[in-house]
Amino acid sequence: MGRWLLLFVLGVIAILMVSPLILTVFTSFKPTTELVNPPWAPPVSLTFEHYVRVWTEAGFSRYFFNTLVISTVDAVVMIVIASLAAYAMVFMEFRGKLVLRVLFLIGLMIPVTAIVLPLFQIVRGFGLVNAHLGVIFADLALAVSIFVFMFSSYFVGVPKELHDAARIDGATEFQIYRRVVMPIATPAVVTTALLEFLWSWNDLLLRLLLLTRDEMRTLSVGLLNFQGTMTRDVTGLSSGTVIMAIPVVALFLFFQRHFVRGMTAGAVK
Amino acid sequence: MAGVDLIKLSKAYGDVEVLHDINLSIADGEFVVFVGPSGCGKSTLLRMIAGLEKVTGGDVMIGDKRANDLSPRQRDIAMVFQSYALYPQMTVAQNMGFSLSLERRSKDEIARKVKEAADALKLGPFLDRKPGQLSGGQRQRVAIGRAIVRNPQVFLLDEPLSNLDAALRSETRVEISELHQRMNTTMVYVTHDQVEAMTMADRIVVLNDGNVEQVGSPMDLYNHPESEFVAGFIGSPKMNFIKGRYAEAVDAKTLGVRPEHFAIGRGDDTWEGRVTLVERLGHDTILHVNVPDAGALTVSLDGQHAHQVGDIVHLRPQLEYIHRFDESGRPIAA
Repeated sequence: MGRWLLLFVLGVIAILMVSPLILTVFTSFKPTTELVNPPWAPPVSLTFEHYVRVWTEAGFSRYFFNTLVISTVDAVVMIVIASLAAYAMVFMEFRGKLVLRVLFLIGLMIPVTAIVLPLFQIVRGFGLVNAHLGVIFADLALAVSIFVFMFSSYFVGVPKELHDAARIDGATEFQIYRRVVMPIATPAVVTTALLEFLWSWNDLLLRLLLLTRDEMRTLSVGLLNFQGTMTRDVTGLSSGTVIMAIPVVALFLFFQRHFVRGMTAGAVK
Repeated sequence: MAGVDLIKLSKAYGDVEVLHDINLSIADGEFVVFVGPSGCGKSTLLRMIAGLEKVTGGDVMIGDKRANDLSPRQRDIAMVFQSYALYPQMTVAQNMGFSLSLERRSKDEIARKVKEAADALKLGPFLDRKPGQLSGGQRQRVAIGRAIVRNPQVFLLDEPLSNLDAALRSETRVEISELHQRMNTTMVYVTHDQVEAMTMADRIVVLNDGNVEQVGSPMDLYNHPESEFVAGFIGSPKMNFIKGRYAEAVDAKTLGVRPEHFAIGRGDDTWEGRVTLVERLGHDTILHVNVPDAGALTVSLDGQHAHQVGDIVHLRPQLEYIHRFDESGRPIAA
């Protein structure tokens, strides 16, 4: 009985989660003439015209490329800096380690919205407004604390003897990091890559603030173009949303196993 | 190859000193075992020789070089860990060749040296396996192989047999002894198991509470312990310590008699006691005997005996083998 109740509750939650996605996919494939039909009605005749329009005329090909570049660089650089910082925090002894740990902790506590204005001023000070590099720096700075703690919790589980054995074998600290510790931290690497890529891919606030020129925009900002004060391009919005969602869904499906392992790493030894 | 000298070596964590003025000279090619109870500092001492722990005071000399400030890789040593410490993502061959690959040796040379070590340790069929696919004994052999491949000046082994079952432990013990005879390299071995120490060592260093209690050959330590602690630690079952009238009768504060140095017989010079437990091991029989004024004693008799719990026995200590200790636990000269 309990099992059936659980399945029922989970089923309801799943339907609530998936239904907006289904609605969006249905709408994106409907010819304009079918928009008068009830929204939950599946498209009678499939059309790709909205996708073509969004991709070419609405500039989504450029937005897609911009988003891909920023998110990929974000994810790759985040893996490198967060894992290096976590390695130092876990395996090395140095002056000011505790202070650094506290600073990282403070970094976790400050919401982005609270520091939007000073952040904008800093990025402008570096002349990086309307440059992808400006957004990348801001993304990395705002999220690095979380990933340092995530890598740290994973590295703490690496047996100390493994580190000692590598030192005896003649490895430098960097060789231990690259050849011994990182290869066994695959779940943490995959989780960092996916989460940072996802956050970067979906972020609207920083992109709206720091990328004002159209040719620099990303997909999340591009979606706003379909929504005016008085009107809304529902098919454009739907197909744009699907375009934006496909890479993230594909990545999650591909790396799901590693991702779940990474999320639980450090929780149970 | 090289010897190791420890000169007034000490180690402190903050204000707490865990090793005090250790002086020890290990000859080139010697097999030395550090033995002592948990927390006595033996592993810390080994890690200081390896360069994994900083030296607080004194010097570590490897060969004729002062090694205090050298990194582990500059010391030309190899170490085998209790937990094997194999790299889980690498194959057996990659694990064994890792140190050579760090030295940028050619692939051919690495493959040749790994094969030589693998053949010596009967690991040939497992070279492409990952550590997770090996048994405990095979993993320990890989860890030893990883050390051999480097052909180091000094081998350091930190309780390498502790994670193995009894049968495998005695088998690997023999293999390590044979390896030492074949390679004739200086080996420093840490264990809390005095049987390992007795069977493998050229010399044993007994540590207690951060101090060296005694250094000597296994038979030296067995026959001539320089303290009650060493007398009790070396030998299995452990030595009986008797106080009171039996000790006073031989002008000692404490009388030490090893279980195998009791005979059973009758006469005025025997101690009467009641058997409380009998352990039959086949090749010998161990009796636990309660003797009034002496306490619970352990007696080891050669061969098989018919004694039962509750039997009254008469014990005769073999006077030529007894040990006499004064108030401070030091032996009294004969």
